[in-house]
Amino acid sequence: MFRQLRTALRAGIVTEPAAAREIERIGERLASEIARLFGRSLAIRQVDAGSCNGCELEIGGLTAPHYDVERFGVHFVASPRHADCLLVTGPVTRNMAEALRRTWEATPDPKFVIAVGDCGRDGGVFRGSYAVLGGVAEVVPVDAVIPGCPPSPAALLAGLLDAIGRQRR
Amino acid sequence: MNGLVYGLAAFVGIVATALGCYGMVGGTGAVRLAWLVPLGGLDLTLDSLGAFFLALIGFAAVPTSIYAMAAPPDESKARFTFLGFVLSMCLVPLAANTMTFVIAWELMSITSYFLVLQDRESRSSVYAGWVYAVMTHAGLACLLAGMLLLGAWTGSPRFEDWRAAAPALASGARSGAFILLALGFAGKAGVIPLHVWLPLAHPAAPSHVSALMSGVMIKLGVYGLARVSLDWLGIGPAWWGLTILIAGAASSVIGVLYALVDHDLKRLLAFHSIENVGIILLGLGSSVVFQAAGQPTLALLGLTAALYHTVNHAAFKALLFLGAGAVVHATGTRNMEAMGGLIKRMPWTAACFLVGSAAIAALPPLNGFVSEWLTFVALFQNRHLSSIGLNLVFVLGIASLALTGGLAMACFVKAFGITFLALPRSDAAASAVEAPVATRLAMVMLAAACVGLGLGPTVIVPALGAVGASVLERAAPAMVGDWLTLEVAGGYASLSALAIAIALGAAFIVPMAALRLVRAPHRTRDYETWGCGRIVQTARMEYTATAFASPFKRVFDFFYRTTTRLDIEFHPQSRFFVQRIEYENHTSSIFHDWLYRPALELLRAGARAAGGLQSGSANLYLAYILAALLLMLVLT
Repeated sequence: MFRQLRTALRAGIVTEPAAAREIERIGERLASEIARLFGRSLAIRQVDAGSCNGCELEIGGLTAPHYDVERFGVHFVASPRHADCLLVTGPVTRNMAEALRRTWEATPDPKFVIAVGDCGRDGGVFRGSYAVLGGVAEVVPVDAVIPGCPPSPAALLAGLLDAIGRQRR
Repeated sequence: MNGLVYGLAAFVGIVATALGCYGMVGGTGAVRLAWLVPLGGLDLTLDSLGAFFLALIGFAAVPTSIYAMAAPPDESKARFTFLGFVLSMCLVPLAANTMTFVIAWELMSITSYFLVLQDRESRSSVYAGWVYAVMTHAGLACLLAGMLLLGAWTGSPRFEDWRAAAPALASGARSGAFILLALGFAGKAGVIPLHVWLPLAHPAAPSHVSALMSGVMIKLGVYGLARVSLDWLGIGPAWWGLTILIAGAASSVIGVLYALVDHDLKRLLAFHSIENVGIILLGLGSSVVFQAAGQPTLALLGLTAALYHTVNHAAFKALLFLGAGAVVHATGTRNMEAMGGLIKRMPWTAACFLVGSAAIAALPPLNGFVSEWLTFVALFQNRHLSSIGLNLVFVLGIASLALTGGLAMACFVKAFGITFLALPRSDAAASAVEAPVATRLAMVMLAAACVGLGLGPTVIVPALGAVGASVLERAAPAMVGDWLTLEVAGGYASLSALAIAIALGAAFIVPMAALRLVRAPHRTRDYETWGCGRIVQTARMEYTATAFASPFKRVFDFFYRTTTRLDIEFHPQSRFFVQRIEYENHTSSIFHDWLYRPALELLRAGARAAGGLQSGSANLYLAYILAALLLMLVLT
């Protein structure tokens, strides 16, 4: 036990340095935009419309300690009933199209939709397949797109900021 | 004809309530007809405690009779039996000597037996009636033995004389009488482990009869227990109270545990009756212990809590049974798993059932909350007792009351949620229609009573305190307070039910009004309930009562002793395709397995042994006669 403690004390902090200034800067602007538009926080419902889960990994990264997006007022919720924004990934498979449409219907107004990833934008590599509709915009009206395969958490934050910046009160 | 007889029953109820209220405010009266029956004659006396129970019977008889007027013909055909049942119950708390009491008690048992046996075609109904008859007559045997012994020892069959003579009796004799009488009354009250008839009889009886049996008849067992432990036998030793307290704790917890895993709506309510009798006995037991410890004021507090819960239970349990009756009539089943979605089809019934559920789950501002709170306060007064043993039992009572409250809440989330919410689980539930006007009127009356009893403790508690003070001598009122706040046990605790109700109401109304005032933008859009985006949504996807009860089954597995059978039939080609799946989960009753079955086996073995005497051979019988003759000659 003491050996372990000694090792731990000698090793010091070996984790990566804190998030780049870039994230902090975008985050603070995001927080102020959210405060301006929504008062307190932005509730996001993430919908996987047939994604390969690459985008989900990055979105999940946003909520992890390194980025910790909740401190900027972004909150992922468990039901579209609680959401202001839908964050949709994937090329929209045939099986998920109706569910996505219902999710959009179930989200209270005012709401906006962000399509995430190249698949969400236009179907990406799956474009033209018989199994997909190709892009979120085929099913529900899309307000903003965050491209990338997958988009990094920093890109997601920047895209979120961009999407919110476009919203008018 | 139906309307006339049930109208008469309702009238009897009104008269009984009026007479009971008259008795509670201090009125007295007596009827003595010595020539009518032998051994003391008919002797009816109106005193304060009896008047309280008389008023209670009347109070429950009115809505149940109104309900019965609109009940379907197969349920309401035994109208004269029902009238006789109400009348005989009214006589019980008025009876002032052994003969009158036993006749009234037995009439009540027999009429209710015939009411339970309404459906003579079904085996389960006949079995329920049989168990009920056996249990009630075993109880009667105990009562009769106890009363006759007391009559012999005190030299009088009149209860009034017992009161005077009891303190002079030997303590063993008093305790013996107490045990016999308490056993008899506890059987009627459905105290564990004498409860077996309750979950059988209530589902078998028509709903208005169940409401009356559960709301009032089992309370007459409580009436008897109160008389025995506080009144007839004078101030008893502390162990009388402790026994009642422990029986109450056991009944409350075990009753609610059985209710949690039962999915027959009426049987669930029957188990809750056991639970609530347990809660009443917690108050009564504490009262007896305080009385034995020379604390009459605290004893009055406990008795008041018990009486208050008695009225409350009558109100909400009658309401729930009538609501269950309306549901059962509309869906044709008592199985909750085949219900669902009834709130849209039967909004009145659902609203009334919700009020009853909230009341029995002791949610403020309804009546169950006030009386359970009073029971808690009474039990917490154990700080005035010095004995460690007594204190431990009180702590057990407090813990079991707390556990009971939580489990009752869970159980009624299940009962209301599975029955009334979500999608209908059967065609019968989908085509259910609202109950007729008379049924709704009966339920609304009882729901209003639940609200009234919850809001008015500052009026009701002093009235019940006066009833209790007439039984307990030297008791100063344990509750003071003004019209708004009730203060009990010398400033130990206070409750303002009205303020809680207003605060709760304001919590709903103020934000609404504020939003309206600031003209917050509100647009509404009607859309189907969120179902996770599923395209096909069927009742098979819904939460079931079995699933709801499953965690509780797991936690209390040592008590339920569940046996599970899972039978899956796979496709012969692949295990990934299931063709048929069967799941069974049974609980077994420890009382049945460990108490009643051995007892019955013993009885049968004894009967078989005794049966050997009866060989059928005439020669042997002649030998018996000869032996008996010789014995007589030798002995005399």
